[in-house]
Amino acid sequence: MMYILEKKNIDQTLTDWSAKYKVFAPQKVENFSQFLPVEPSSELALDNPHNTRYPPKALFLPQSEALLKYNRQLNKLEELIIAPKPRIIFGIRPCDASAVSLLDTVFHTGEYDDPYWIARRDATILIGMGCKEPCQTCFCTTVGYGPFNHDGLDGLITEVDETYFIEVFTEKGKQLFLDLPVASEDQQRIVKSIQTNAEEKMQPAFDTTNLKQKLDQNFESDYWSKISESCLGCGVCTFLCPTCFCFDIVDEVQRNERVRNWDTCMFKIYSQEASGHNPRPTRVERTRQRIMHKFSYWIDQIGKIGCTGCGRCIRYCPVGLDIRAMLKTASTLESEGINAR
Amino acid sequence: MSEIKVKLKAEIQRLLNEDIMDMVIAFKKEDSPLRPQPAFFKNPDELEDLEYNSLCQNNLATYLTRYPQDTRIGIIVRGCESRSVNALIVEKQHKRENLYMIGIPCHGIIDVRKIINRTGEEISDYSEDQDEVSVLFEGQEVKFPRKEVLHDSCLRCVHPNPVNADILLDDPLPEGDPAVVRQAVESFETMDKDERYALFRHEAERCIRCYACREACPMCYCTECFVDHATPRWSESEISPAGTHAWHIIRAFHLAGRCTSCGACERACPMDIKMTYLTDKLNENMLEEYQFEAGMDDETQPPFASFNLDDKKRFVL
Repeated sequence: MMYILEKKNIDQTLTDWSAKYKVFAPQKVENFSQFLPVEPSSELALDNPHNTRYPPKALFLPQSEALLKYNRQLNKLEELIIAPKPRIIFGIRPCDASAVSLLDTVFHTGEYDDPYWIARRDATILIGMGCKEPCQTCFCTTVGYGPFNHDGLDGLITEVDETYFIEVFTEKGKQLFLDLPVASEDQQRIVKSIQTNAEEKMQPAFDTTNLKQKLDQNFESDYWSKISESCLGCGVCTFLCPTCFCFDIVDEVQRNERVRNWDTCMFKIYSQEASGHNPRPTRVERTRQRIMHKFSYWIDQIGKIGCTGCGRCIRYCPVGLDIRAMLKTASTLESEGINAR
Repeated sequence: MSEIKVKLKAEIQRLLNEDIMDMVIAFKKEDSPLRPQPAFFKNPDELEDLEYNSLCQNNLATYLTRYPQDTRIGIIVRGCESRSVNALIVEKQHKRENLYMIGIPCHGIIDVRKIINRTGEEISDYSEDQDEVSVLFEGQEVKFPRKEVLHDSCLRCVHPNPVNADILLDDPLPEGDPAVVRQAVESFETMDKDERYALFRHEAERCIRCYACREACPMCYCTECFVDHATPRWSESEISPAGTHAWHIIRAFHLAGRCTSCGACERACPMDIKMTYLTDKLNENMLEEYQFEAGMDDETQPPFASFNLDDKKRFVL
């Protein structure tokens, strides 16, 4: 089903929803945008062609979150189970939404269920904003997604002039738009052609054929030291990445809290073992881990590439490293490890 | 190709061809015109990708500490970079005789974000001359006076000329005005205590603890940074105020007398956090109290690293 929402009514719609839901939308913060709860004074950034700088994964996996409190004197533990108010995340880009559905395969597997993740996921309706104009750094179609991909979404907006056409995919999504007029078949055709156009604009950024095999077989190649030479070893790419989910759990004893913080394989301390040994001692091994995880290990685990092509790691890398260039080089490697040391 | 780039290429070729240096740290072109990337040339035939313009935003001295001291390294140095290299030599992080500093008097680094904030991100081409930069945004040429899009640290630069360079590829430039340096510090100082704290919080609490500022800084080379010390932990790793405040204050203090005001920390920050108002203030203190500026030669120990019995103040830190 496809509904019609006039753009001029968007503020009112978000306000109406706010009565029952906590509504998040991209908003201007400093010189960039970030998902924040909508308030009357909010300056929405729905028209920004880019996704938000800070990734919306934080709405499900906050960068720092207390998991439990303890009292050592009384020998007591208090689990901090959350019960979030129903939420709508409005205007999330398809790359970020598909990243959330990828992360379901980490935090909601049946075998390992993360109550914090699941509580937030269950309480949330995700309405996506399709991308009519892919940006220079976007490469979603290369990694198997697309500017109007609806993995993880309850509804998806296609903007046509002053109108939002909203496709809904779930009952949760449908209930938000029941009062709205339904798009005619002609309108639906226009929407489809806009979607196809956007997809066709995107050229493949690198060749994924046998990419995993090439990476696997070149595990010891000097390719890795070449691509990591200028890497600073900071956490920009991984922290801003919508699919990176690594975390570290620490006891903040001064506050009697056990806290989960985002962590990153790009830090030396990440793989530092208690013995003092570090199996990934330099940026070479750490860069290899970042690329291998996304383009090999995810495929081993769930059969999908663990990157949705959002381009944040490219846009914000302080030294201008481009994961597309790295993988383009990888795709030219010899399969049988001829380049290997 | 700009004149500087031609000279630079010839000089790098000479250093590598004649085996004067093992490698040269410079910049190369990337697919995006806005992001030249640090490059490590070891072979004179690899130079077709060499790039040099005002978008080369990194302080290359940050890479020096990665290489053994007997590696003979040629490195591009602009004013601040040369002072970082000197400061690293003073701190015995590389041997002067194994370094070749290719000096370029610097007209300032362009802050890409200042351009993007005014045009939008989809920039497909870039060109510059001494007074103006020009970008192609959605097919339209947009021009900016250079001064409007220089990085803040470069607007405040006092020493644009490389110090102790082995060669200068261009004529020296006039020194900057020290009064201009004070502007950021002054606007911070004229606030009252609550306003200053509010500003500090506004900046520091946006921090996502990615440590891009640390990694971009040539002087942050500790084998183990205090925030990474885990046995026992010395600092919170949360993005809570306690964690971010501690990071920003201690980082700044560790750079007292060592920072060369290059601004690489701010350019690397993915959250646009201002940091130089703190380090510039500390630099000013070092100048007033000890008449010391980091990196102005390659011998003088920074005051907090030196000890002498005639110290006018009777304390040991």
